[in-house]
Amino acid sequence: MRVHWRRMLEVAGPVVTRPFLFVSALAAVGILLSVFREFAGLHAVTALNDGYSWGLFKNFNVTTLTALGSGGYALALLTYVCNQGKYHSLMRTALLTSILTYTAGMIALSVDIGRPWNLFFMADPWVWNPHSILWEVAFCMTAYVMIALDFENLAPLLEHFEAENMPPLVRDVAGYAKRFVKAAYPYGVALALALPTMHQSSLGSLMLLGGTRVHPLWQTHLLPLLYVVMAFVMGIAFVELVLMASCTVWRRPIDRFMLASLSNIVSWVTAAWLMIRFGDLAYRGQLGAAFQLDFYSLVFLAETVMIAVPALMLRARGWREDPAKAFPTLGILTLGGMLYRYTPTTIAFRPGTGYHYFPSVPELLISIGFIALAVMGYLFTVKRFAILPATLEMSVLASTKQIKKGQAA
Amino acid sequence: MNVDRRTLFKIVAAGCAGVAGVRKAHAAAMQSNTEQLGLLYDATRCIGCKACVTACSDANGLTPDTGSSNGLYQAPESLNAHTKNIIKLYRSEDGSEWSYMKQQCMHCEDPACVIACPLSALTKGDFGIVSWNGTTCLGCRCCQIACPYNVPKFEWSSVNPKVVKCELCRQRLALGQEPACTAVCPKRAVIFGKREDLLTDAHKRIAATPGKYYQDRVYGEKDGGGTQSLYLSHVAFSKLGLPDLGDKSVASGVREVSDNIYQHGITPVAVYTALVAVTHRIWSKHLKHSEKEAEELGLEEQL
Repeated sequence: MRVHWRRMLEVAGPVVTRPFLFVSALAAVGILLSVFREFAGLHAVTALNDGYSWGLFKNFNVTTLTALGSGGYALALLTYVCNQGKYHSLMRTALLTSILTYTAGMIALSVDIGRPWNLFFMADPWVWNPHSILWEVAFCMTAYVMIALDFENLAPLLEHFEAENMPPLVRDVAGYAKRFVKAAYPYGVALALALPTMHQSSLGSLMLLGGTRVHPLWQTHLLPLLYVVMAFVMGIAFVELVLMASCTVWRRPIDRFMLASLSNIVSWVTAAWLMIRFGDLAYRGQLGAAFQLDFYSLVFLAETVMIAVPALMLRARGWREDPAKAFPTLGILTLGGMLYRYTPTTIAFRPGTGYHYFPSVPELLISIGFIALAVMGYLFTVKRFAILPATLEMSVLASTKQIKKGQAA
Repeated sequence: MNVDRRTLFKIVAAGCAGVAGVRKAHAAAMQSNTEQLGLLYDATRCIGCKACVTACSDANGLTPDTGSSNGLYQAPESLNAHTKNIIKLYRSEDGSEWSYMKQQCMHCEDPACVIACPLSALTKGDFGIVSWNGTTCLGCRCCQIACPYNVPKFEWSSVNPKVVKCELCRQRLALGQEPACTAVCPKRAVIFGKREDLLTDAHKRIAATPGKYYQDRVYGEKDGGGTQSLYLSHVAFSKLGLPDLGDKSVASGVREVSDNIYQHGITPVAVYTALVAVTHRIWSKHLKHSEKEAEELGLEEQL
C-alpha cells in the first residue's frame, strides 16, 4: 500500500540512548575546548594563520553547513511560494534541521572571532558598515536564527504546551500564542525566505573579496547566485537524507513518492546550476583550466562529477523512487555541494607562498563538537515533539492510544 | 617633494622650539588632512640594511621578531603580529636577477579591508591613512581575507588580539615627524611625502633613465585602484610579491556586485512585500484545508 505522509508525529522511546550519550560526549569535548580557547587564544587550539585566517569554524561550520541547513528555506519556497502544499508535512523536519545547523554555526562563529566582547556593537547602528559583505551576512543570519526561524519553529512547541496534561494557564497562553502564529505566519515565512536568499548569496560574495587569490575556476561575479542555488539543492537533499535515515532507524514508513518528487526537483535545479557554472566558465574563458588536470582542475572535476552524476542518476524514475538507491545518490550529491561551497574559501584560496592550513586536532574536535550539539538537539526534539512526518493511520492510532491512556488514568 | 621635506624640517624645528610649536604643527597638519600622504620605495636604491625594519619596531613599540636567528637579532620571515614593515630579498633561481623588496601597508585609495570590515574598525582617515580601531573590532579577520597584498596581521596567540598593520606612523606625524622607516633610510630608497609629489618624483626618475625601471611605470599609481605606497623596481613587480590587479580596486568590484543586487535596500523590501503577498494567499488556503481535515478526522490541528 502506498504510504502518504500527511501529519507529524513524535518518535516513541527515551531521549537518552547510547547514540545520544555518544554525541553528548563529542559535544562536551568541543564545548570544553572552546572554553579553553577563550583563555588561551586562537593559536592554542587552531591551525589558523595570517594567510589562512578563516578555517573550519567559519568556512565549514558556517559557510558549508548552513547550506545543508537550507532545507527550511528551500522547502518553504516550494510549499508557500510554489504552492506545493503536499510538502507541508516535511516543513517541520526541514525547519528543525535549519535552526539546528544555523545555531551550531553561529556558536562556532562566536568561538572563531577574536574579540567576542565587541559583538555588542552589532546592536550599534553608528558603527555598522552596510557596505561590508560580512556585516550583511552576520546581520541577516542573526535575524534569521533569532527571529524568523524561531517563529517558524514555534508551532510544535505550542502544540506541546496545549496538550491536556499541561496546567490550564500554560494551555491558555499557548493557545493565544498559536492564534498569533497562525495570523502572522505569512509575514514570518516571507522573512524566513528573504533573509536566507540574502545571506546564502552573500556567503558567496564574501569570497569576491578574495579577488585573484581565489583560483579563477571558482572566482566569479556569479558566486552569490551559484552559492544560493547550491544551498537550495543541498537543503532539500539534506532533508531527504535526514528523513530516510530517521525512518530507517526508527522504523517509520517512508513516503518514497514524495521524496522522489523532491529528488526530481533536486536534479532539475542541479542541472540549471551546472549550466550556470559551465556557462560562466566558458564566458570567462576558463574551460581550458578546468581540464588541465593540475591540482585545481582535479578538485574541480571531483566536485563536478560528485554533483553532476548523482543529478543525472536521479533523472531515472526507478532510481529516485527507491530509497536504497536514492540515499547514497543524494549523499554523494550533497558531499559534492559541500565541496563546492568549501573550496573557494580554503582549497582554492591561495594567500601566497609560505602559508599552509590543515585543521589541528582541537580545531577538528571543536568543529565536530558543534555538529554533535546539533545532532543532540535533533534527537531530543524529534522524540519530544511532533516533527517527523507520519501517515494518517499512525496519527489516528497514536491519538486513540493517548485517549485510552487518559481514560485509564 | 623637496618642498615637502623642507616643510617637514620646519615642523621638526618647530617641535624642538617647544610645545607651542608642536601644537601649531599639529594644527597645520589638521588643516590639510585630506591630502594623501604616502611612501615611495625604489628597489634599485635599497641596500637591504633593514634599518627601517628596526626603526619601525622601535617607533611602534613592537617586540622584535627574532625569527630563525635563535634570538640573536631581529629577523622576521614575513609581516606578522610583531612586524609592520619588512625588507625581503628576491633572487631568481639562477641568481642572475635579484632585488630587495619593502613591504608594509599600501594605504589603498579604495581599500578592500575597509569595505570588508563589518563594524568600521578599519577606516581610511586623515591623510588617507588606513588605520585600525580596536574599540569596535570583532577580530573576524575579514580584512585579512580581503587585502590583496596580505598586509593586516593578527595576534593569534593573544586573548585580546589586535590587528597589526602599518599606519604610516600616524603617532609620529602628529608630532610633526616623518615615518620611522623613511627617517632612517640611509640611501633614501624609501621616502615620505604627498602622494602627488612622490608620483612626480617617480616619473622624473623614470624619464631620466628610460629602460631602467620595469615597464617604465610606478606600481600603485593605478594598480588596484591606486595606492599611497608607491613602488619603482627593475624586476617585474609580480616577482616582488606585488600582484597584478589591474586598475580596478577589489572593493569597487565587490561594491558593483552588491549594489546591483541590493539597489540601496529597495530589492530586499520589494522581495519581502511580494513574498508576503504570495504566502498570505497560500497560507490561508492551507489553514482552511487543514482545519477541515482535522475536523473530519477528529485529530488536533497541526500548523
